[in-house]
Amino acid sequence: MNKTLAIAKWEYLEKVKTKAFIISLIITPAIIILFSVVPTLLVSKEDNTTRMIGFLDKSGMYFNDLNTEISKHTLDNGQPLYVLVNLDQKELSEDEIKTKTDEATFKGKYDSFIYIKYGGTDSITIELRSKGIANFRDIGRFSDAFETVRISHRIQQDAIDPDIVEFFMRGVKINQIKIEEGGKEGKANFETVFFSSFIFILLLMMMVIYSGQMLVRSLLEEKSNRIIEILVSSCNPNELLAGKVFGLSALGLTQILIWMMIGIALAGSAVIPMEAFKNILPMLVYFILGFIFFTTLFVGIGSIVSTEQEAQQITSYLSIIMVIPVVIVFPAMQNPDSSLIKVLSYIPITTPSVMLLRLNIAPVPLWEIAATLGLLIVSTLITIKFSAKIFRIGILAYGKMPNIRELKSWLREK
Amino acid sequence: MLKVTNLVKEYKDVTAVNNISFSVKPGKIFGLLGPNGAGKTTTIRTVLNIIKPTSGEITYNNKTIGQEFFNIIGYLPEERGLYKKSKVEDVLIYFAELKNLDKHTASGKIDEWLQRLNIIEYRNKKVEELSKGNQQKVQFISAVLHDPEILILDEPFSGFDPINQQQIRELISSFVDSGKYIILSTHQMETAEKMCSEIFLINKGKEVCSGELTEIKKRFSSNNIKLGFEGDAKFLSSDKRVLHYDHYNNYAEVQLNDDIKPSNFLKSIVDKLTITHFSVVEPTLNKIFIDVINQSSK
Repeated sequence: MNKTLAIAKWEYLEKVKTKAFIISLIITPAIIILFSVVPTLLVSKEDNTTRMIGFLDKSGMYFNDLNTEISKHTLDNGQPLYVLVNLDQKELSEDEIKTKTDEATFKGKYDSFIYIKYGGTDSITIELRSKGIANFRDIGRFSDAFETVRISHRIQQDAIDPDIVEFFMRGVKINQIKIEEGGKEGKANFETVFFSSFIFILLLMMMVIYSGQMLVRSLLEEKSNRIIEILVSSCNPNELLAGKVFGLSALGLTQILIWMMIGIALAGSAVIPMEAFKNILPMLVYFILGFIFFTTLFVGIGSIVSTEQEAQQITSYLSIIMVIPVVIVFPAMQNPDSSLIKVLSYIPITTPSVMLLRLNIAPVPLWEIAATLGLLIVSTLITIKFSAKIFRIGILAYGKMPNIRELKSWLREK
Repeated sequence: MLKVTNLVKEYKDVTAVNNISFSVKPGKIFGLLGPNGAGKTTTIRTVLNIIKPTSGEITYNNKTIGQEFFNIIGYLPEERGLYKKSKVEDVLIYFAELKNLDKHTASGKIDEWLQRLNIIEYRNKKVEELSKGNQQKVQFISAVLHDPEILILDEPFSGFDPINQQQIRELISSFVDSGKYIILSTHQMETAEKMCSEIFLINKGKEVCSGELTEIKKRFSSNNIKLGFEGDAKFLSSDKRVLHYDHYNNYAEVQLNDDIKPSNFLKSIVDKLTITHFSVVEPTLNKIFIDVINQSSK
């Protein structure tokens, strides 16, 4: 046990001091922020100049009302976002004006040019003509404005009670309420379930992949410079394996905690609903067991590599295994009662993710929690046993990666 | 006494070690010799309890070796390696802790050893900043820091310049004086010849020759003499007592019949030639090694 601790301490302290760790600590959140914040900034940034819009409607029915409607959109400084220019000239024909305005728009006099064509009394086609592809927000605003104007025209024409119109326009909204023990109404909604389950599933995945890669890498270093021989002549392989798993898990935990702290500091605790932590105890159990299960799997398989290339191959395969539950869990959220989900709860590689999700969606019967936990514990123990056997021989094997047949003979070795 | 009895280690389709037995006595250097792939490393690994033998037994003071022996064994592997990015002191403390030494004791001993090997100034440097020779010294320290009773050294001199080789040789001799069990595995026959009192020669997993070095040399001595002279020595090639005669520029090598005493032979030729040099040649370990290996490989 002393030696396990010494190994865990060494793995943790030596890795925590490395540049790679510090860089990944900063780079990963930086990338996430870059991907989530920058696009928003880019989109909202467009609305800071007034746009000149040419407007051609030979019927003259729309200009005034539309102008009123669209002038509701203003810039931050109170200036109008759009300025409509009525291009209708009695003496020119529709086609002449259109050709002229197209040219002017192309030269940049107008940002866009709205052209209304009549196909019949109430059927109109509207074209938004511009040099580049029009901004989807502009199109949305104009189509809303046209909709409103068109409806209000009809209301006036037929003298319909505006209340009735409003009644038709109003949609029906269904509120979701989760009934909890004692008849209490829970506040769970989609976001809560999403956050509480998905954050945990994602954290589990990231932690396993990160620690797993660290493990394979540290083993590879020790194998390639033969430090491993000194290690296994000082302690038994199980102590070595346990020490590495503990040390690198602590490392992964450190990283996740720091990221969470950064996240909370940046966005405030409001982002993560407190509801997410209601089932924290069983969730933690699944999380930790899942982590140990996957990490030991990584170590066992990771110990057979002896080159950088093989390490990359192996870690990417294992990462794919890690992603599978996440891929499955997304569609599963649509239908948490399906029998597929029940089945997946009992397959060790998906148990942690699926159960993390189920715990939040609906109360899971105690016997199911017990059964899935039992199964997870048993399969973790089996994985530890198998991994330890492969590890014991793998760390001293060099050259070609063993095939399945050789691995089987390793497992049989006493 | 460290005793290896009927050791066999089989892998899937090769027998790496095939029924070997030997014992190592304290205060002596035991030379484990053999060509590449002979089974030396496998033997060492079973003694270190890194791998389990297929059959056979390894005992230390009549107890089968097990995990509790980890702390009394020191091992210097043939291929050296340390954590390159870590500090010399940290690496040494880590290895010492793995041998159950507490940090405080280890720290004191590290100081002593670094001083003894003249590399104290690198204590807080990263391993990669040290020269190859100095890295080797650090590695050597890691093997002996916990004052092991059994010391297994695999090619301890490789990578050292002659001055450092001398220093390491003296250190090893001091361990001999303090009664440690030392197994030295090497290809360098001159080194083995100088240092080992007992050798064990292994080839293709089998013992080919073992015993006290002096006894082995006697066994393989073929009554050779080296002769320096002036005059015509052609008559020697037809002498009945001479088995083999090689003439070089300034001297000749003569192999005598087994029943001829070199001193008598000298008496009989001293009138016919002017002798400038006369010595009885012992076979070098190198020659024994090559002869024995060639013979057993046939």
